[in-house]
Amino acid sequence: MARELRIEQLGRIPYAEGLELQEKQVEAVRQGVAGDTLFLLEHPPVITLGRRADPGHVLLATAELRARGVELHTVTRGGDVTYHGPGQLVGYLVCDLAARAATDVHGFLRALEGGLIDALAALGLPAAARPGYTGVFMAEAGPRPRKIASIGVGLRGWVTYHGFALNVTTRLSDFAAIVPCGLSQVVMTSVARELGSAAPPAAELDAAAREAVAGAFSARFG
Amino acid sequence: MPREIKMPKLSDTMEEGTINVWRKREGDPVKKGDVLLEVETDKADMEFEAYMSGTLEKILVQTGATVPVGTPIAIVRLETDSDQEMTAFLAARGQAPLGASAPPASSPVTPVASPAAPARAAAPPSTPAESPRRPTKAVPAPLPTPTESPLAPPAVRGEPAGAVSHLPFFLPDPDRVRATPRARIVAHEKGVDLSEIGGSGPEGAVLASDVERYLESLENQQDTLLEGDVHATPVAVRIAEELRVDLARVKGTGPGGRVTKRDLRAHLEREAREGPSRETELFGDEIKLSQKRKFLIRNMVESKKTAPHFYISMDVDADPMRSLRERLREEGRHVTYTHMIVKAAAAALERFPDVNATFRNDRLVRFNPVNIAVAVDVQDELVAPVVKNCQGRDLEDLAQAMDTLIRKAREKKLQPDDYSDGTFTVSNLGMFGVENFYAIITPPQSTVLSVGAVRQVAFVESDEIRVGRRMTFGLAVDHRVLDGVRAAQFLAGLKRILEHPDELLASNAAHGA
Repeated sequence: MARELRIEQLGRIPYAEGLELQEKQVEAVRQGVAGDTLFLLEHPPVITLGRRADPGHVLLATAELRARGVELHTVTRGGDVTYHGPGQLVGYLVCDLAARAATDVHGFLRALEGGLIDALAALGLPAAARPGYTGVFMAEAGPRPRKIASIGVGLRGWVTYHGFALNVTTRLSDFAAIVPCGLSQVVMTSVARELGSAAPPAAELDAAAREAVAGAFSARFG
Repeated sequence: MPREIKMPKLSDTMEEGTINVWRKREGDPVKKGDVLLEVETDKADMEFEAYMSGTLEKILVQTGATVPVGTPIAIVRLETDSDQEMTAFLAARGQAPLGASAPPASSPVTPVASPAAPARAAAPPSTPAESPRRPTKAVPAPLPTPTESPLAPPAVRGEPAGAVSHLPFFLPDPDRVRATPRARIVAHEKGVDLSEIGGSGPEGAVLASDVERYLESLENQQDTLLEGDVHATPVAVRIAEELRVDLARVKGTGPGGRVTKRDLRAHLEREAREGPSRETELFGDEIKLSQKRKFLIRNMVESKKTAPHFYISMDVDADPMRSLRERLREEGRHVTYTHMIVKAAAAALERFPDVNATFRNDRLVRFNPVNIAVAVDVQDELVAPVVKNCQGRDLEDLAQAMDTLIRKAREKKLQPDDYSDGTFTVSNLGMFGVENFYAIITPPQSTVLSVGAVRQVAFVESDEIRVGRRMTFGLAVDHRVLDGVRAAQFLAGLKRILEHPDELLASNAAHGA
């Protein structure tokens, strides 16, 4: 069903503000006064736990996290533990699946993966989904799977929120504080790390990633 | 007629869903559009809304459980439903009405996804003849309850050992798999379990090329994402998860030492032969712990391991508190013992700043604010919301702040900020008739006050036997922070304030203003 996707580019906003933003948007979409929207933004350092997250996957004490300026939030989305921080492109996709006649949660997760894989391809990186492990990984297999984007979705009725987090120029050492998504053998990677010496300066790369993601998601959901 | 709520199918490929949390409780009124529960599948979490109005009569599947799509998970009673209708509806499903307890034989569905749960004694043996024909998690209609599903472990208490027929149908005998001689040779050389391969030859026979392709796919998935050094084929991982077999206990004979389906079969056969292990006899159902509970447990263990606790106690005359409460009640103000105790503790902590302190990096560090945590039991969960910045606040103000927090706790709306950064804890078990006890210190705090019940006592004063009311205050103290004398002075100070209502009513006790 033809339904437009509006893309709203935001800067770095606190996690709580991001939640509020989504809350409002979800309600507006449910009441039919707003269309589907993809918010692209960044968060200051924050660790979030999905409903069934194992607190054991947060490896630092709350006090230590606070000392490092990292917030801790529990949220109503699927998935385990996730880290957000500067250099990571966060996409909140508020989307009415019923209005799109696409009431299939797994289908939606696969579409998110597809959008990210397209965006990474546009940036020159071959990425792939790993059946059974929602998220996006680098296609070429190394000794350990390298995860470049995390996915976690919440639904109120058939309206989605939350979405994905793509590591662009993220400081990967910050992931040391958690076991990402409970997968202890996965290493986190970023667009910058995968591009290596071919990577442009951080600001330029961040902008390019936003453009690639906006393009890929417009094509898929627009 | 009452309505059954079933585990929703949120995707064509969804076979089962997990109940993350029930947002409504049994007996709660439900309006169309209210969020009833949160269901998780894969990495999506859906807030599932009621599509009818009425009362949530019965929850059949509890929080944390994973059940197949279509499994009844709750019963909603519509406003038009009569009692008789409701009772008949429940009886037809082997359920007792709300308020009565269900007979054990028809107790609510047991979670199937608790990790590594041992065999359930009540599970009947699943034989191939009874099993549905699909080797996956999907369960066709009519839906068996999970305890009757083919996924129940085969070794069941009371069943004689050696019954190979009890093995799940999806663990076939590898020797019976159709394969070409060439495929058998290659499989044998490489340790491949033929029953894991879908054959492309006539009648599904496995060809040598199928084995090669399978080996290649294994190479590409060399990481099976398991904890520790356990290696297993993807098929084995899936089956082990369903049967709740600990792969670390299974010897792997597959390619690269991987555990295969064949190895799982051998393992289960041995267990069946040797009978249920001693562990299975001793341990029953597992109860999944909430995140908060796990945090709490870790904290308590840590506390007892690192903080050298010592304990003192003192009796406090409860009559002044009692008469103050009466007096305020006549003025239309409602205060409880806990309110007064928190107020007194705040004032005492201001007078004894060394008590409002912690041991940190070989130093004593005083806390800046006085933040008092109040332990509350909410639906069998211990929470301790924190009244922040108690210093200098009057009784009424503190009582209000405390009531707001306790209300939030009851409504399960506490935010992490509401229960963090306590510097002192008050725990009151008086209302349960406990006369004295000592709670465990919550790090990084260094003391916890345990309040017992008000009791009538006979005591001697001026050579006469009199009658009065007393309550016992227990104080657990971290010896690294305080010595006995300081702790005693603090407790005596607290007692003095509680026995002098004027001090309780002072708005700024610490500064004597």
